[in-house]
Amino acid sequence: MRSLDESKEILYVIRTLDVLMGSGVGLEAAIHSIAQGGYGVISKDFSDLMVNINKGRQMEKELRSLLKKAETDGYKRVINTMLNNVTQNTDIIETLRKQGERMEETRTESVKEYIEELGGVPETLLSIGMIGPIILAILGIAPQLMEGAEELFGEMDQSAIMRIVNVGLILTLVGMALIGLKAHTKDPGL
Amino acid sequence: MLYGILEMFRNEPFLLFLITISIACAVGGIPPILERQRRRSIENDLPAMLEALSDSLGAGLGLQQAMMAEAERNSGTLGKLLRETLLESHASTFDSALASFASKSRSPQVQRVMHLVSTAIEQDAPLQEILANMSRDYERLNDLMNRRESDLMGRAILIIMFVSIGLPFLIAFIVGLFAPRSQGFQLEEFNSSFTLFFGAASLVAIGVSGRMLGRLRSYFWWAPLWMAVSMSIYHVGVLVIGG
Repeated sequence: MRSLDESKEILYVIRTLDVLMGSGVGLEAAIHSIAQGGYGVISKDFSDLMVNINKGRQMEKELRSLLKKAETDGYKRVINTMLNNVTQNTDIIETLRKQGERMEETRTESVKEYIEELGGVPETLLSIGMIGPIILAILGIAPQLMEGAEELFGEMDQSAIMRIVNVGLILTLVGMALIGLKAHTKDPGL
Repeated sequence: MLYGILEMFRNEPFLLFLITISIACAVGGIPPILERQRRRSIENDLPAMLEALSDSLGAGLGLQQAMMAEAERNSGTLGKLLRETLLESHASTFDSALASFASKSRSPQVQRVMHLVSTAIEQDAPLQEILANMSRDYERLNDLMNRRESDLMGRAILIIMFVSIGLPFLIAFIVGLFAPRSQGFQLEEFNSSFTLFFGAASLVAIGVSGRMLGRLRSYFWWAPLWMAVSMSIYHVGVLVIGG
């Protein structure tokens, strides 16, 4: 959930940092502006960072601990750029602009991939969702259909068959849910 | 005939309860659809508005004047909202009018843009360039959102239709044909298991479809209705086909 939120917000954070720092605002003030809210989990992280800085801890150490907390590559890269700016006085604005462009390309690609990958979900879902119940339905009515043919097929206990059918139906549901889970885990976070 | 249909649900209190709940939830599901339509119409207009504002600033107008010109030009929801905001701004500051515009739009995109515009005004940043950049950014974002919607909508509907209507009808047909109640087949437990399965399968189908389109919560309002439809199709189908 955190990684999805990070990937959703990071591009907007980069654009805001670009505007703020491009107009002469310092890094700490820019972080403070984002910490005030509107950028989900990143606002929360920056707010915690500002609280610790106000307690007297070093910005460098705080950024390093935030780097460990970050889950997505994009967020890690932005924190790393901030860290480099603090330690080596690098040109943060130019780096952020390039990162923003790259991230936008990545986002476009990941949306295209998401649409392509979900292309097969309906077919797979319907295959499992249809074949499973059809087989189980035939199995469930078999003991009564085959009544009188015990010599051919052996004794079939209706309650035992029903237990198998119920387990089969639950497994079909789990299978359907697992296939559908792809829609959640691969979400590009628009 | 009506009594005949009602009689079919005599021993299904859970299904009757679900049908009642589904009507209430379906009514609750309409406002999120309308709200989404309104929000998306505002968001689709946003890049054009930002581009027009950037052009007007380039022509030497102030931001407030540019917004007034855009409010007169734009005949959509965004233009209407902008006109209302600018009217209100006569009684307050321009900054608070921007904040009010953002909150009235109820769109995260507009809220982010307005936040950035106010910050840029505060910091005396080059507004024309910022607006032009944002226009391009949001145009690309909206293109992606619209593409996702158009490409996945058909698939989402296909999943719901097949799982909630096609599947219960098919199984009811098989069971009704091969094990008709009129011939003395005892399938109460079997039918009860399958009825519950179709309800749960519809819930999964709604969940997957909603997640595919990125609006799971608003789709769940329709879950009881589809569950009830699916369970009723199977229940009534078995009784009608099986006699």
